Amino acid sequence: MVDKSCASTSVVTLDHNVLYDQPPGAELVRRIEGRLAYATDQAMPGLLHGAILRSAHAHARLVRVDIARARNMPGVHSVVTAEDVPGLNRFGIVVRDQPVLCEERVRYEGDAIAAVAANTREQARAALNAIEVTYEPLPLVDDAATAEQQAALHDGGNLLARETLRRGDTEQAFARCAVIVEHNYQTPRQMHAFMETEGGIAIPDDNGGVLFRVGCQSGHRDAEQLADILGLASGQVTVEAVPTGGAFGGKDELTIQPVAGILALKTGRPVMIHLDRFESSRTGMKRHPVAVTMTTGCDAQGRLLAHFVEAVLDTGAYASLGPAVLENYLDHATAPLYRIETYAVSGRLVYTNNGVCGAFRGFGGNQATFAVESQLDALAGKLGMCPVALRRINLRFTSDLGSRDQKVRWTAPPAQVLEAAAGSPLWSTPGISSSRWLTGTGMAMGAQGNGLGDGMPDSGGGRIALTRGGHIRVEFGFSDYGQNIGEAITRSVCHGLGCQQDDVEVVLGHSRGPDSGPTSASRSSVLVHGLLARILPVWRASACRQVAGLTGHPEDALSAGPGGFFHQRRRVLTYRELARNGQPEELVLDARQDFPVAPDGNQPVGRYLQLQIATVARVAVDRVTGRVRVTDLHHVTAAGRVIYPPGYLGQIEGAAVMGQGMTLTEDMPTREGHYLADNLDQYLIPTLQDAPHQRVDVLDNTPEDDPFPVRGIGELGIEAVAPAICAAIEAATGVRVRRLPVAPGDLLTALSAKEEAL
Amino acid sequence: MSKQDMETEPQPLTSVTFECNGEIVVHSVPPATTMLDMLRGSEKVTSARAGCRIGRCGACNVLLDDKAIPACLVMAWQMPGRRVETLEGLAGDPDFLAVKEALAAESAVQCGYCIPGFVVSLIAGLRQRRRGSNVDLAEAVAGNLCRCTGYGGLRRALGRLGLAP
Repeated sequence: MVDKSCASTSVVTLDHNVLYDQPPGAELVRRIEGRLAYATDQAMPGLLHGAILRSAHAHARLVRVDIARARNMPGVHSVVTAEDVPGLNRFGIVVRDQPVLCEERVRYEGDAIAAVAANTREQARAALNAIEVTYEPLPLVDDAATAEQQAALHDGGNLLARETLRRGDTEQAFARCAVIVEHNYQTPRQMHAFMETEGGIAIPDDNGGVLFRVGCQSGHRDAEQLADILGLASGQVTVEAVPTGGAFGGKDELTIQPVAGILALKTGRPVMIHLDRFESSRTGMKRHPVAVTMTTGCDAQGRLLAHFVEAVLDTGAYASLGPAVLENYLDHATAPLYRIETYAVSGRLVYTNNGVCGAFRGFGGNQATFAVESQLDALAGKLGMCPVALRRINLRFTSDLGSRDQKVRWTAPPAQVLEAAAGSPLWSTPGISSSRWLTGTGMAMGAQGNGLGDGMPDSGGGRIALTRGGHIRVEFGFSDYGQNIGEAITRSVCHGLGCQQDDVEVVLGHSRGPDSGPTSASRSSVLVHGLLARILPVWRASACRQVAGLTGHPEDALSAGPGGFFHQRRRVLTYRELARNGQPEELVLDARQDFPVAPDGNQPVGRYLQLQIATVARVAVDRVTGRVRVTDLHHVTAAGRVIYPPGYLGQIEGAAVMGQGMTLTEDMPTREGHYLADNLDQYLIPTLQDAPHQRVDVLDNTPEDDPFPVRGIGELGIEAVAPAICAAIEAATGVRVRRLPVAPGDLLTALSAKEEAL
Repeated sequence: MSKQDMETEPQPLTSVTFECNGEIVVHSVPPATTMLDMLRGSEKVTSARAGCRIGRCGACNVLLDDKAIPACLVMAWQMPGRRVETLEGLAGDPDFLAVKEALAAESAVQCGYCIPGFVVSLIAGLRQRRRGSNVDLAEAVAGNLCRCTGYGGLRRALGRLGLAP
């Protein structure tokens, strides 16, 4: 049976033919010239420097915190502890359980105990050293598997969340399976490793309020939390967007803002805090490590019948977005690209003293996909089937329901994506073995939903206006941390109005501006496109009405274009002239829309807008060292329309290399609650030399009537990389790796055992 | 900075004179102050940025007598008589313009925090080439880390600068 909607396929490779049709934006050039000031590049008169005292223990009672000596250190303006938090001494996006400054207990080695504002960074640090803290160590909870039986880190115990997704009777279905595979998988505690570590400034105003210019992902939400912490009315806290050197989810939660705000209020001076890499590594969010056992069975033809999953996610000391990560993990663990007759997919999210985990590109999904795709390869191997053939007979149709039995909207049938990847020249390149290198090719698929997902309120607003200077200003609440969102918005406006890039001014991420919701969950592009599609025609009609009044041309014969308004192909009024002579105050339009969710009435709702990717990986395994080089990655994406080709390509390539890092080198292991890596010499992210050659083919058969033709692709590229690389390693060596990152020594040992057995 | 360093009394200041972006500058700082802190503290340089402060990421690379060097690894006492160039002083440099054009044409930048470090490394490579070396530009940026792009745009930009991608 073939998905009937599998019509003709149009695949476009993002190569020089599509990449260079437009000039680079002005902001991109300023970034290259080093002239764009990032959050931690800011300077201003009277700026103080803040520093934060972190816990020396991963779990301890605070017996005494003595700041008397620190207060008298040179250059010190203020030393604060928990007593100085004016409002709620807690933060957290889902559960407010993390103290700004700890009162009587520390739960991880990054916990903040006190903070100092001083004239210089060195003076602030010297004063931290003069703070005397007496700890009484408490029993450590450092094993996620047994955390629920250990001393409770929070009221209510160490089980923060648990959920099971079920379909049918798995027991009965397993009994009918011809083949069953059961394996354990482990994924690492990956660090975001954004190049700009957490930082920025808090500036007190004359009315007791505070302005924050700090690298972040959600200005409005941060402003709400900060008002509660600082004991201020919501109108007294302003968050202003500032160029940010990477985030990837790691700046979704508050970072240094609460402490910077408290110090700014205490001193009446602006305060800069910029964590160095050591402190960032020790305190920042990480990707949830997941240990999972998957049992999957199929019939003799390879049809999936039963799938049983038990996962444990280590969220560390505080909740942050952990419960939402668990939910997305489970969605992906149900194998949302495939029809499985029955499944029981369970996950537990537990507190430990192992750092803190939160949002990270992929958001639990890629951890699950790694295990699911590996299971499919294991079944194919047992049946002696080609892994493409096994996938082909199990892929869902576009009319099928999603992981939570919700309606879903794909931009293409999954079968088309698989066939496009199977047709890739890379997939048919044979493996080569030499005395030193073993090469092989592997493939995996992944699905990715857009939007915050199950049960979370999700909507966004935007605004368009004409500035005095004659620019069409579009404003959204999103943060710019390097995802090229400004470039994409500019192009969408040009496309929608017919104007040129110079006519457009993009304003982002001001908490007094429109609330677009968080810059996460691959949701920005969907909302930007949806809002612009509604707002631009209305704006153009109002503008043309004014132009008609000013020029005497009939309103319906006017159109917007490069530089201004046109009548019979002749420009009759510039945007600037309209701003001067018209009523620009009447050309301010606001719009708001709910994020598209499944129209399924009252049943629990999973993500509605779905994207897919198939990744083909080619690796070379060094027989001498056991190291793996990824030489090529070829992706096929089905994720709607491409608005800004270099941005789209860069998102897929960048996410893929991040996934490669997670697969091969990146981990933040802990020993007794302490991280074993603290900087980029021990924590190895890929360099240019490690980066593979990549090709991205876009499969865009998005139906004409799809109301959401533009999707968010910031997370898609990471989805299938790990299982594709591990499939390639298996093709090269015969060894399947199920614990990431791949340990070269273990791979070598397994390889030797294989070769000896031959 | 280790605990011991922090607990010692403030060190006496030393005066160092060097050339920065064509100007002779004098700094009065403790001798172990890093060049990175001196440059950024002058408020004239922000393009050299702290990424790791251990010479690993290349985000603070500057040209020190034509070589790309992490500014976090050079101390004040090593600076007298040296010539430093950062992007702030390279606006008209022909190699800078070539690098800028190649990166812009490829839109090879996402967040861009690391990019001045890459640009400095590439200028150093192009200057070496001018002196007859056949240095591989991919080697020139081997010490620069980028977390956003996966290096795709960068590799395509290197192709434009005369290295087969």
